[in-house]
Amino acid sequence: MEKKGFLDISFGWIFALIIGVFILFLAIFLSVKIIKIGGSQQGAEISKDIGIILDPLETGFEEGKTTILDLGIESKITNICEEDEEFGRQAIKTSQAVFGKQEGGDVEAESYNKYIFSENVLEGKTFYIFSKKFEFPFKVADLIFILPLEKNYCFIRAPEELTNTTRDLRLDNIIKADSSNDCPETSEKVCFDLRVSGCDTKVNLVLNYTEKNNKRLYFYEDSLMYATIFSSPEIYECQLKRLMKRVQSLAIIYEQKKSFVALKNCNSAIDFGLLISQTGSFNKTIDILAIANIKEGLESRNKFSQCSIW
Amino acid sequence: MVKMNSKKAQMKIQQTAFMLIAITLFFVLVGVFFIGFKLSSLKEDVTSLEAKQAKLLVSKLANAPEFACGSAFSEKKSNCVDSDKVLMLMKDIDKYKDFWGVKDIKIRKIYPKLDRDIVCDTSNYPNCNIMNIIERGTIGTYEQNFVSLCRKEVVGDKPYDKCEVAILMVSYEKVK
Repeated sequence: MEKKGFLDISFGWIFALIIGVFILFLAIFLSVKIIKIGGSQQGAEISKDIGIILDPLETGFEEGKTTILDLGIESKITNICEEDEEFGRQAIKTSQAVFGKQEGGDVEAESYNKYIFSENVLEGKTFYIFSKKFEFPFKVADLIFILPLEKNYCFIRAPEELTNTTRDLRLDNIIKADSSNDCPETSEKVCFDLRVSGCDTKVNLVLNYTEKNNKRLYFYEDSLMYATIFSSPEIYECQLKRLMKRVQSLAIIYEQKKSFVALKNCNSAIDFGLLISQTGSFNKTIDILAIANIKEGLESRNKFSQCSIW
Repeated sequence: MVKMNSKKAQMKIQQTAFMLIAITLFFVLVGVFFIGFKLSSLKEDVTSLEAKQAKLLVSKLANAPEFACGSAFSEKKSNCVDSDKVLMLMKDIDKYKDFWGVKDIKIRKIYPKLDRDIVCDTSNYPNCNIMNIIERGTIGTYEQNFVSLCRKEVVGDKPYDKCEVAILMVSYEKVK
């Protein structure tokens, strides 16, 4: 009599089952990988797209521009700033929620001519993007600010001029208030009067600094003041260093142009030497105040020169 | 009898193995086809993004600080390139090679027209009509924009502003 086992399964079936399970696992593994790669591809495309839509924000004569970025689904934008290399580096990484999990975000879209001021990581579906011209004393760049639409900022006792600017830029998530009690609970409270209590960020318009996350960030004029308010201290310090590198490079070009046009009897009494050396040794945000004095001197000299250099 | 059974079993194993290899091969082929399709669409996406970038950049590049006239010429002008400044920029262009993220940037003067193309350098400026600002020697597709090309000139001992018509060209590479 033929002896039968507990389970009457032939070797063929067992073999097919093992290989079947292997193929199934391989298929699942590959599907997960493809979804991940798809997520990365989408993230990379969105990051590159964000980089591209920032180009039209380049200002001409206007002071600033605003645009709205709608990504449709909950997204995470990481702002990366590196100060090494000739002009430093700006990069953005974007990841989006797929089945409640953030996918992508490992591919960077980089640029060297953009300066994005924001928190290190931004989360939301829709974002305000606005630009402000930065002149020091000649036009240096357009500073780009990214704010999540869902995040409110409450400007307490802000000067009229400032609130007018935010109104002109149609930044509806910036609320004007007289005290921190008037601000929405979840908003970031930005105080322009140092006597006000309960502030997340304090702006001193007399001594030109902003206190945020226990750090003092010095600024010069409006565009950099907005930069101190809307960006994390690390991003602000890094972008300011990059901006100073560009000021230095432009100052070298203008110095050469000054000598070149002088051959055509187009004379100017401007000396860029001090600006070039000071921007070259820029290290801390407080250094901006000393360089600003040089900038003001150059500005008035250019205004009254026989020939304007910029 | 046992021998017959074992031969039958071996045949069955072989059949199953061949079937499984065929299925695996089928899935591999489908996978390769899918990856190929994805890759070609990815290349198209990259090219279209590069084209979009070049198109948007060329419309705004004239306002970039390294190019813009600013207030150097009597009145503020939009879409105006300061050719004296660009010539100085070209002297130290190496550090700007990747700055704007495009392959080539050039300016071609179109009015007044010259009899032949002359590439500008410090020795022949301004008697030339092409300024190769960033040149990589790659064959790409150009996006262009009309601009005023202004410089300082002198008559007798009096300087004056001279503006001509030019095209600002930005090229991007098509991913093949």
